[in-house]
Amino acid sequence: MSVSCARDVTEHAKPPRAVFVPFRMGHLFGTPFHVELQRRIILVALGLIETAEDSPAILDLDITWAQARREGKEIERLRG
Amino acid sequence: MRNEQLRPGLWQVVNDRYPGSMITKSDAVPLARFEKPLSEARLTFVSTSGVQPKGTLPFDVAHPIGDYTFRRVPSGSSPEDLEIHQLKYPTDGAMRDLNVVYPITRLQELVAEGTIGGLTDNFYSFIGYNMDPGLFEATVAEDIAAAVEEEGADIALASPA
Repeated sequence: MSVSCARDVTEHAKPPRAVFVPFRMGHLFGTPFHVELQRRIILVALGLIETAEDSPAILDLDITWAQARREGKEIERLRG
Repeated sequence: MRNEQLRPGLWQVVNDRYPGSMITKSDAVPLARFEKPLSEARLTFVSTSGVQPKGTLPFDVAHPIGDYTFRRVPSGSSPEDLEIHQLKYPTDGAMRDLNVVYPITRLQELVAEGTIGGLTDNFYSFIGYNMDPGLFEATVAEDIAAAVEEEGADIALASPA
């Protein structure tokens, strides 16, 4: 399965399973030190192993880049 | 919830500027059914991020047609063992936490806690800037596919940068 930040490219390539994240390039797995989000993206992608019924299966991750950035900034603030 | 990509129309913009450079498939890759529990599966990670072990030959990020080689990244590596050679994406986040583009620590943790059965000995990395899809498929894609199969991967997690 794959992770994607460019839905149109993924729709052209037609992989069997993909998770679309509306994130900035270079940040496919989220923001620095945001361990929970990084794990979540991996686990959502792996979940498609069982839930995908037909190819191509493109699943939207339920978070925006703005939200990921806000959470990431808070995490870094707490890290000091 | 359907989110929009941050760079709309990316495929068309690149393909208009460099005709034939973008991959397009007429048929979807068939869905392979997977019967083994994830907790027993061996996973590999394939990335276009240009992440590679320190001291290995840097990718040729200046070549106008691209670099059609790949690097093996030992799956037991720590981020401090690795470096990035790529020009085509912002690396500010990865320079602080490599896991934002190459989640090697997260995958190791998922194995340690039993969620994933194991990792292949190596992960695979190349650069996404390659302007000849046919050459790419005949070289990098075929070579990585063969290597992944030889390492006994059950699952491949693939990611662009």
